[in-house]
Amino acid sequence: MSVLEQLNGGGVYLICGSIVAFIAVVCVIFMVRAWRAGKALGMDVTRMKRAVTASATFSVLPSVGILLGVLALSGSLGVPWPWLRLSVIGALHYETQVADAAAEQLGVSLGSGQMTAQAFPTIALLMSICIMWGMILSTLFNKKYLYRLQQGGKKETRTGGGFGDKAMAAMFIGMVSAYIGSYVGGWISGGGLFSFSGSWTPLAVVAAAALAMAVFTYFSEKKGMAWLDNFSIAGSMLVGMLAAVLIGH
Amino acid sequence: MEKQKNYEAYLKSTHRLGRIVSMITLVLLVGAPFMIGTLLGAGPDLGAVARGFLSVGLVWTVSSVVEFLVYTPMLGAGGSYLAFITGNLINMKIPCAMNAKELVDAKSGTAENEVIATLSIATSALVTIVVLALGVVLLIPLQPVLQSPVLAPAFANVVPALFGAMAYKYYRKDPLLALIPLTVMIILFTLVPSLTSSTSFMIIPAGALAIALAWVKYRRETKGAAE
Repeated sequence: MSVLEQLNGGGVYLICGSIVAFIAVVCVIFMVRAWRAGKALGMDVTRMKRAVTASATFSVLPSVGILLGVLALSGSLGVPWPWLRLSVIGALHYETQVADAAAEQLGVSLGSGQMTAQAFPTIALLMSICIMWGMILSTLFNKKYLYRLQQGGKKETRTGGGFGDKAMAAMFIGMVSAYIGSYVGGWISGGGLFSFSGSWTPLAVVAAAALAMAVFTYFSEKKGMAWLDNFSIAGSMLVGMLAAVLIGH
Repeated sequence: MEKQKNYEAYLKSTHRLGRIVSMITLVLLVGAPFMIGTLLGAGPDLGAVARGFLSVGLVWTVSSVVEFLVYTPMLGAGGSYLAFITGNLINMKIPCAMNAKELVDAKSGTAENEVIATLSIATSALVTIVVLALGVVLLIPLQPVLQSPVLAPAFANVVPALFGAMAYKYYRKDPLLALIPLTVMIILFTLVPSLTSSTSFMIIPAGALAIALAWVKYRRETKGAAE
């Protein structure tokens, strides 16, 4: 039995499914408590119902987009683990990048044939550790932070943008540049310095995915189809992956 | 007065519950790789995890701190505990909660906002869980197809596909800012091709360069605006 077959086995489904079920129960508990608190505060039930209905309908399309992410990762990590990660805590761009970084440390790639029994737990652990800080910060500081904001009347100060937003965008620009630089360098010098004999497939995939993203953005921004945004990242990735299949054949 | 007292009691118990479930979720998520490793007959390579964390984890740690500072006031107590547990913040939870808040006209920092944000995030997370569970059931029969050699190049190129999509998304925000780190990285990887095996580590100098350039530009803009 291959590692990938084991990763799609009943035991892994049970572990991941139990955690997803636990989070679902937590969501229901929070929801019921908030509903009761709203009623006790005298809030209009119709408005609360409207918030729930709007949130449910709003979330369907992005969830289908996230499902495409599970599909994208399933060939290398099996179905249950990406299912867990993207149902709970994760986000597609984060999961893919961290999984790749962990694979790099182990000298393997995320291609389906390369997963080993030791590589998977290592990759999975790094994925869990890298993104746990939101929960830790929430546990340690949520109460104090909200209390301080209420006392100081500073609620809007952190949401106004400033350099924080620009630094986040710049950080992602740097991250993307490092990866694209590696694909260009790999093509130019991968088979020997300036030999131009390295693989150009990753570059073609980058170009196809970027082009697809441009098309998604055009329709979403210029043609009033904002709902397309929900599929833009996952849809562009699938277009890039399709390009890899076409080049491979 | 009674309502305010009830609301304060609700907030207090929300913080207690939020902390408990966050810690349980953390233990489950960190424990799962060990449990799956037991099934596979191998444990994680902790050295590789540490090296991986130093290369990419720090970037995501900074990102988590910023997300915590920015989103917590928007979502209130219950909403933010749930959002940090259930993830997909920027692509779903935040716009979803903002949409619900606007629909019912709830003002930030009020008790009403606390209730609406929690209802919205919980609903959104449940919808995702249901859609993904249904999708996974449908994916099971497709596994032989997904693992076929024909599709192998697709799964070997998941990362370039992601960065192609992200390149368009982020480069268009500031093409000039993107040009310098991209050029520097191309030159480095071309002259030292062995760096390809440490791409994730190279995020640190590339990110630092981009942030430094963004800072210079920001200072120039704010100075110009002040004058």
